[in-house]
Amino acid sequence: MIAIERLVKKYGAFTAVDGVSLEVKPGEIHGFLGPNGAGKTTTLRMIAGLLQPTSGRIVVNGHDLAAEPEAAKTSLGFIPDRPFIYEKLTAGEFLRFHGGLYGIDGAGIATRVHEMLDLFELRRWEDELVESFSHGMKQRLVMCAAFLHRPRAVAVDEPMVGLDPRGARLIKDVFRRMSEQGVAILMSTHTLEVAQEMCHQVSIIQKGQIIAQGTLDEVHRLAGGGHDHLTSVFLKLTGGSGLQEIDELV
Amino acid sequence: MTPTPFTFLLLPHLWSSRNRVRRVQRSDLLRAGLFGGVGVVVCGALFYGAYWVTTQLAAYQEFGDYLLRLGLSWLFLTFLAFLAFSGVVTSLSTFFLSEDLRLLMAAPVSAGRLFLARFTRTVGQASWMVIIFMTPVLLGVGVGRCAPAAYYATALLAVVPFAVIPVAVGAAATLLLVTVLPARRARDVLMLVSLLFAAAIVLTLRFIQPERLLRVESLPDITGFFATLQSPLTPLLPSFWAGEFLFAGLQGGGDLLHGAALWTTALAFTVLLGAADRRWHFSGYSRSQDAPKARVTALAHVDRLAHALPLSTVRRELLIKDLKVFLRDVSQWLQLLPLFALVILYLYNFRALDLERIPYMSGVVKNVYALVNLGMAGFVVATVALRFVFPAVSAEGAAFWIIRTSPISMHDFLWSKFWTGLVPMLLFTEGLTIVANEFMGVDPFLKVVAAGAVVFMTFALVGLASGLGARYPRFGADPNQVAGSFGGVAFMILAVLYIILMIVLLGWPSAMWLFSRLRGIRLSALRETLMAGSFVLAMVMSVATWLLAMRSGVRALEDMKRT
Repeated sequence: MIAIERLVKKYGAFTAVDGVSLEVKPGEIHGFLGPNGAGKTTTLRMIAGLLQPTSGRIVVNGHDLAAEPEAAKTSLGFIPDRPFIYEKLTAGEFLRFHGGLYGIDGAGIATRVHEMLDLFELRRWEDELVESFSHGMKQRLVMCAAFLHRPRAVAVDEPMVGLDPRGARLIKDVFRRMSEQGVAILMSTHTLEVAQEMCHQVSIIQKGQIIAQGTLDEVHRLAGGGHDHLTSVFLKLTGGSGLQEIDELV
Repeated sequence: MTPTPFTFLLLPHLWSSRNRVRRVQRSDLLRAGLFGGVGVVVCGALFYGAYWVTTQLAAYQEFGDYLLRLGLSWLFLTFLAFLAFSGVVTSLSTFFLSEDLRLLMAAPVSAGRLFLARFTRTVGQASWMVIIFMTPVLLGVGVGRCAPAAYYATALLAVVPFAVIPVAVGAAATLLLVTVLPARRARDVLMLVSLLFAAAIVLTLRFIQPERLLRVESLPDITGFFATLQSPLTPLLPSFWAGEFLFAGLQGGGDLLHGAALWTTALAFTVLLGAADRRWHFSGYSRSQDAPKARVTALAHVDRLAHALPLSTVRRELLIKDLKVFLRDVSQWLQLLPLFALVILYLYNFRALDLERIPYMSGVVKNVYALVNLGMAGFVVATVALRFVFPAVSAEGAAFWIIRTSPISMHDFLWSKFWTGLVPMLLFTEGLTIVANEFMGVDPFLKVVAAGAVVFMTFALVGLASGLGARYPRFGADPNQVAGSFGGVAFMILAVLYIILMIVLLGWPSAMWLFSRLRGIRLSALRETLMAGSFVLAMVMSVATWLLAMRSGVRALEDMKRT
């Protein structure tokens, strides 16, 4: 559903993403893991059509993003790490506008907006200005927008940041339900417990390159086995924890 | 999927405006009342001025017609340059830096529709001010000449394409600039260009040398003066077409040639810009997000300066932080440069205006100007303080927790902000006042009064800005928004009242003293006491404004703990 082939993004002499390839199949939740500055957000922004790749190919639901940007974007929902929402619109107005961008017409939009607001527990705030929302509420509103047009694939950048435990639980449930309905989800996250709990496949990126890819078991084996937890595997693959230096400094 | 029309993409801005009106707050009403009131007065003056000039010109028949035609072309030419520049700046924001692009670019919106929506918004944003100022002028001309109704329709038909053409040229320049530089760096470059633009206007004005009209012996040169005005009016510019089209409408006729030239050029430019946008916009937008490494200037001289001053460690570090943050933000400090350019023009005009040629008035005018100059210095302090001192506390933004959780008293924090703002402001305004009074050759007594008064006024206004800025902070908003907030408007109102009171308190005794000296009249003891009292009252009012505002600001910051 989402396929990227040898994706490269360069900023002058600096290569932020260096030949990344991965595929997310329908119904799959694919965890995109890596340390800060590894190239996760840059990759997701290229998939969303916000950044132009230096080279490589992105295909969403069979549509090449470079050749058929509108068709590819119609199939995709994007949840950015720093969401933009018009602060002076109400939640309902924002969702109706978002629906319009994806061609959902007046007859069907009201019902769908209410479904989404109910799903993300925001119905009470439908007529409130977005500027009065907390960070977590804004995050949930952006997710409402991303799922509003029934996308076949979703790219999510750090979905759990700023959410309370109830909100985090809600998001996990929604993602699971969507994946059961065949939606492909590519999710970047620092919360390795979330990846361990939810992802069918993971890709670990470091310095712009994929250093490990596969099911959780396969990634465990890549790290040499003997690790019970994904955190240990992640630290092993990405270069250790640096605890010895901390001991020296404290 | 049915594509929605491009106007759909403008809806969030319309809905946002509607929501703002529905949820209007006290501060919004105050601001709207103040700015709206000023706007109405300015528009009224423009209307009356245009009406008066038109009726006066009517007395000169054909020569009057010629001058009116020339005036219309010049009016449009002036706005042409402004619109083109405004188009460059606005399109940088609307096409490349606007936050909502992250939403729109990820949505399945065709490049053509996105362009039309963005271009419509750019034209609106870049030209609304020109249209607001042009409307009363064109109405004044129409009423002054008892123009037929068709003139007003012609005005509308002329203004719309006239606004589109330069804005399209400006947007094309931006597109070109952004293909060379990332948009965020281009913004800094544009700030510099704005300075050059202001300098170009100043040079143009100086080139015309309007003061020549004051010289009786240069009367034969007046024809040359008008020739200077006429020279840039090339038939190839849209300002000429708009002027001719409108003048024909004013005379009850029509000028299809120039009207058609305006509309076909506007449409052709829109189509061409749309094609260029489809080709280069995405790569430019993508580059606008490239900021892997920002250039850092070490600013070691700031450290050296701060260490040379007798300051406590806390105050020194606060000073270094404030100065470095300010100097590294090019968009902030470049805003000062146009102000400096205007001040230089102001001072230059004092030199250029040869008041000795009007001997009867020169003595009075010079000394009145000393007070006008004092008021001007006050307004400069108030304006700069509103933009740079008032937002100083708000500028801490989300990082204010660092100050609040550190062992620094709010008193030390706010006073540090005060001194950081005061020193450059005092040097600037004191220099401005002394130089201007020197150029004018005002009475030595008034020179001393003005120099002393500026010290008191600067302390009071910077103190008021610091105090009210702490009382009404808006953490997280950009400095322009902070300056336009309720607190900013309240500061400006209080500052204007204070300046007026100061001018009255200083002007009355100064005038009495000068008048008595001119006429050789000895002042009574009571008069002298009242005059001294007036000076003392001005000083007391200044010190009270300064200290009370600061105390109020410190208290407000301390009260934050309780809320």
